[in-house]
Amino acid sequence: MSAASSSGTAPGIVVVGSPRSGTTLLRRVLDAHPNIACPPETYLFGAAARFLHADEFAAGLRIGVVDGLSFAGFPEDEVLGRLRGLVFGFLEDYAKKIGKPRWAEKTAFDAFHLDAIRRLCEGHVKFVCIHRHGLDVALSLGDLVAKTGGYVDELHAYMRRYPEPLEAMARAWVDAATAVAELAEASDDALSLRYEDLTAAPEVELRRVFEFLDEPYDEELLGRALAGTGGVGFGDWKTYARAKVDRSSVGRWKTLPTPVQVKLAGICNPTLERLGYEPVETEDEDAEEARRRYELGLLLNRMKQDKGEGE
Amino acid sequence: MAVTREALLKYLSKKTRADLSKIDDTTELFSSGMVDSFAMVDLLMWLEKQTGARVNPDDVSIDNLDSIERILAYAASRKR
Repeated sequence: MSAASSSGTAPGIVVVGSPRSGTTLLRRVLDAHPNIACPPETYLFGAAARFLHADEFAAGLRIGVVDGLSFAGFPEDEVLGRLRGLVFGFLEDYAKKIGKPRWAEKTAFDAFHLDAIRRLCEGHVKFVCIHRHGLDVALSLGDLVAKTGGYVDELHAYMRRYPEPLEAMARAWVDAATAVAELAEASDDALSLRYEDLTAAPEVELRRVFEFLDEPYDEELLGRALAGTGGVGFGDWKTYARAKVDRSSVGRWKTLPTPVQVKLAGICNPTLERLGYEPVETEDEDAEEARRRYELGLLLNRMKQDKGEGE
Repeated sequence: MAVTREALLKYLSKKTRADLSKIDDTTELFSSGMVDSFAMVDLLMWLEKQTGARVNPDDVSIDNLDSIERILAYAASRKR
């Protein structure tokens, strides 16, 4: 089924991608379009996903709202329709309020709730899916955690399982990116792009996005997007400090120590390849090499100290 | 095995984000921050593998490691 709005207007747009993949940049561009209103992160779809959550036990009985209401005579379609009406209603009202005909929504952590979001939205919206190199995402998620001083639920779940923060963030990326890739591969109403391509050739990629959305593209769009904040709210804090598309964080993972790269490569490489990225080269280190690395690190620290004293 | 300029640049381009097209053989790599500590440790391990000789503690110095020219000279002196 292809996306269509029940009111005959163009369907809503949902941006999905692992957090720290350029979703806020996309949001700002969409919001700069004269026909599209994309508010800062609303967390509406994550909340809807929690509403739809059901616990499933060995006997096969699902315990949650949808099954609970079915006993009260409300079929699943009706429950989903009412929930969709609530969620879409806020976004439609927002678009009306600022005088635009079409809404878009982006909340980065939606990528961890895609099963429920697909159940609610497929056939009713167009999805724009964005991917970014997993090791860069892991690093950037680490920055996010340092900035916020804690873990949101979606990331904390990984930290509880994996005590090394970068490993936990890499595994979170694998799950989020896989869910986004599955959506993009399965749906006719989904378009995929990569952050690296978007930042290298923004106009080419954005033309593709707006063609998919059946909206005209104008050459001033990107400039307008980057000139304004497009409404202050939740989202990437860094993007508001940038007046141009910035590639400085592409390939930042190369600054990680080799042993960390090797560990993360083991986790991320299959997903990187699935998404069309080159796998990260891995050279396993034995205990002797690890010890040597430690020794050389200490010697290098001494060199830094000598250099400081010499200046 | 001798460490060639080409092999060294190839290695640095793989391991760092430095724009090597904008440097010459005397550009400061470590002092300028272009090559960070992690990458420098990687480089030392790579040099040991290439030359087949361990880096002596006193050799870990700016004089030996801060530019393409100095690294190549140091590697040549360590070649077995």
